[in-house]
Amino acid sequence: MDRDLLKQSLSFHGQSLFSLLNCEQSENPDFKAVATDLFKAAHQRRERENDSPVVEQFIARKADILFAPSWKFCAPSDDDHQETREPYAIMPPLEQFMEVPFEERRDLFYRDVERGDMVIGRINSIRDFGFFVTIICTAGGLKRDIEDLELTALCPIRDVPSTGHHDDPLSYYQIGDLIRAGVKDIDRYHEKLTISLYSSSLAANLSKFKLGVISKEDLPLHYIRAERVSSDRSLTYEKLLESSLGFSNPSNVDVLLEKLGVSDTQSASLMRGLQSKHFMEEDFATAIRKKQSASWALKCVKAGVDHFKSGRHVEAMNEYNKALEIDTNNVEALVARGALYATKGSLVKAIGDFELALEGCPSHRNAKKYLCQTLVERGQQLEEEEKLVTAEGLYRKAIALDSSFQEAEDALQKLQLHIQKSLKLKEEAAKEQEKAKTVETSAEKLRKILKEEKRMKKKRKRSSSSSSTSSSSSSSSRGSYSSGRKKSKKRKRKRKRSSHSYKKRHRRISSRDEKSTEEEVEWYPAPADTSASFINQTQAMAKLLEDKSESGDRRLSQSREGARSHSFGSTSGVETMEEKRGRFEDDPFDRSPRGKERVQHSKQSTGSKHRSSSKVNGRERESHRKSEEGHSGGGSRPECSGISSKSRRYSSSSAGSEYSRKSGHSVDPPSRDSNYRGSEGRQCDLTYRTDRSDSKDSRRTGVNYGRSSCDVSQDNKTMVEGGQRKELPSNLLDIFSQIAQFEKEKRQKK
Amino acid sequence: MSANVDVARSRVSSDAGDTEASPDTKIHFRVCRFIIETGVKLGMRSVPMATACSLYHKFFQSANLQVYEPYLVAMSCIYLAGKVEEQHLRTRDIINVCHRYFHPGSDPLELDGQFWELRDSVVQCELLILRQLNFQVSFEHPHKYLLHYLLSVRSLLNRHAWSRTPIAETAWALLKDSYHGAVCVRHPPQHLAVSTLYLAMHSYGVQIPKGEMEWWQVLCEDITKADIETIISELLQLYDMEAKCT
Repeated sequence: MDRDLLKQSLSFHGQSLFSLLNCEQSENPDFKAVATDLFKAAHQRRERENDSPVVEQFIARKADILFAPSWKFCAPSDDDHQETREPYAIMPPLEQFMEVPFEERRDLFYRDVERGDMVIGRINSIRDFGFFVTIICTAGGLKRDIEDLELTALCPIRDVPSTGHHDDPLSYYQIGDLIRAGVKDIDRYHEKLTISLYSSSLAANLSKFKLGVISKEDLPLHYIRAERVSSDRSLTYEKLLESSLGFSNPSNVDVLLEKLGVSDTQSASLMRGLQSKHFMEEDFATAIRKKQSASWALKCVKAGVDHFKSGRHVEAMNEYNKALEIDTNNVEALVARGALYATKGSLVKAIGDFELALEGCPSHRNAKKYLCQTLVERGQQLEEEEKLVTAEGLYRKAIALDSSFQEAEDALQKLQLHIQKSLKLKEEAAKEQEKAKTVETSAEKLRKILKEEKRMKKKRKRSSSSSSTSSSSSSSSRGSYSSGRKKSKKRKRKRKRSSHSYKKRHRRISSRDEKSTEEEVEWYPAPADTSASFINQTQAMAKLLEDKSESGDRRLSQSREGARSHSFGSTSGVETMEEKRGRFEDDPFDRSPRGKERVQHSKQSTGSKHRSSSKVNGRERESHRKSEEGHSGGGSRPECSGISSKSRRYSSSSAGSEYSRKSGHSVDPPSRDSNYRGSEGRQCDLTYRTDRSDSKDSRRTGVNYGRSSCDVSQDNKTMVEGGQRKELPSNLLDIFSQIAQFEKEKRQKK
Repeated sequence: MSANVDVARSRVSSDAGDTEASPDTKIHFRVCRFIIETGVKLGMRSVPMATACSLYHKFFQSANLQVYEPYLVAMSCIYLAGKVEEQHLRTRDIINVCHRYFHPGSDPLELDGQFWELRDSVVQCELLILRQLNFQVSFEHPHKYLLHYLLSVRSLLNRHAWSRTPIAETAWALLKDSYHGAVCVRHPPQHLAVSTLYLAMHSYGVQIPKGEMEWWQVLCEDITKADIETIISELLQLYDMEAKCT
């Protein structure tokens, strides 16, 4: 029992309480220990009105609780935040409403003010040794009504921080300034205060305040409210409380409880039956819920085991998962699920479950046993995959778990032998290799070159496949012609590309490819009749053009055939295609629907028989030519046409005619798809060819390839010519023959 | 003058309560104890707990104890109070804790048909309470008044004296205990707050400097000394009741 508190209470209530206490607490050894001390206190009673005997009886009865040291449970957190918003109603000092006499307030202030408190005052005179401040209010912890007390404090010059200049620090202050300062020293006897402007003079919980001159807005809220109260007599405590914003804050109870240091959920009661010692931990809601969930989960596990035993693995898994949902980390459920995983072959998942179970209950025998078995099994799996080190780790883990587990030890020994063997083998192999190296270097080099060339060829083959499909499926002259035409177009694009940034374009294309997958979906179910009519139209146009230039084309296309390979080799369009292909190969899930699409697509676009792709190509060719015609006819500027054709390809252009735009949209995807088809179809025969080709042959193509880069400029030239040739369809024949000759010459030169 | 009349009246009523309504009051006391105990086990804060008790008292002000099962009403009051005061409580927890209260040491309920029936009855009873109280289920509690008063009084006292004296704890405990009876629905919240603070300060013999007005007059204008004494005697009766009921 807190003796001082009891004394205080006794001196307040007097003899009657003491006799009651003697009566009620006679069996309390704590009281007996302090009783003799208290006798004197009970007689110091001052003369005052009688208190009700009921209260005294209550005190006496509950004295063991009221005066127990543990009753004062936690220290208040006296953290006064000076915030703009008020979490609770900040009230002016109570004595202002009570109208406590002047003298008493003055005494109380000097009694309670302490070093480290914060006061706010107004400068009333400045002297050589400092300045005097009339204190108007307190800030921080202590809250008193002191404005009319005329308290004066001295702030000596050594407690005024200098501003860094050499002049007098006091020159910074003027009479009438509001000053926030810390109380440095109190002379309670002479009632003198010394204040300081250094923040080190403040108590620790106030240290964030800045001292010095403040504005009116910085005055504490309780002072501002006190001023309002003193000017308006009708404003009572109650009214002010209910009108203040903080009072309607729904969480002000929590804030204040924390401020006062009262714990809310802890049961604090003066009722005997509600003392916290009567509350058992297992009666609390969380404990019961935990127990309940565990038993519920166990029920689910039992049901799951039944399912498992009768072979219904899916149902069993559902039950286990349900159990784990109810009670996460339920050991039994984890072990059961792990066993199910293990039987299903997902050893890694099984290991995970067993390990979790062992974490929750390290002595679980089944979990340990199963984990060891699963680890060994997994180790053997890894051994087969030649991941010997990982397997070794798993065996070691199993042995660490259960040192008597023979199987793991055997496996480990076997594995170690195996590792040693393989190490030896490796060493031998390395030695042999070294020997072989000296012999086979030249041969190997050759092989390397071959490989490289194969790769290059593959690349090229893929790129040229679009044209080659067409050539393979339709008559050779037309096909080669179309490829030639196409090539020229492609070259054109390439030139454009060389003027633009190469990479940028590449990126753009790939992004477009992604978009086009969506477009394709939209595009496929195009109305049959329009496409048919469209095909007819293009077909007619293509024929018209082709007929005219057929004879010349033959030669040209033949001569071009060779050049085609390099001109195509470096186009970025090809690269994107490859990229696409790469994506297909990477993603097996993506592949199958695509393949279907492709098939479907070829069916749709082709309409009938083998001519399909030639038609497609023809269509595309046609559309390109159309637009290019339109542009070069109008502006006769190849660059311009190039740009517009590009824009047509990558977005719907406004420049091209409606027809060309349509064709641009509708034809593009099929042509690309036919590329894929072609390249895929070509794959086998390409490999076949490369297999057949001897080193000499491939080297030659390699040279060709290398030359292609220097061909580019010349290609460009021909392309310009190509542009002109489109302008004058009647002269096509002549021009083509010219080109052919030019190219022949070029070849001969080389 | 009026104070004396008040005192006299309160004496009469309390005397009458002791003799006449004794069985009912005892039942209510026990049920309120049940609410508070359950609340502690559920981790309820004081305000929701106070709301639960107020709901219960309000309900039985107009309803007959013979017609409605008080413990079921109490469970529903807890559930409803959690909703009103935005401290979500799960019915499963409430049923679990209550089940264990009635069957100490027993295993938790199986989550079977019986459990769901119990849950349904709690929810149905909640609707009944709502209708009985005309959907007026939010109360102004003395808690926030008391805390603001405590803060004002604290700044008037010497800080060391304050930190030595558990006034806040005692006043808070008194206020919480007051919900064992119907004091909370009979008196305005301010009066209750002032009375508990008064009793707490008197218990420790803490005195506040006297001015023109008493501190409690300032805190609450319409309260009289007699009011305070009435409430205090009602409060203290609850502590006597505990001895009778348990």
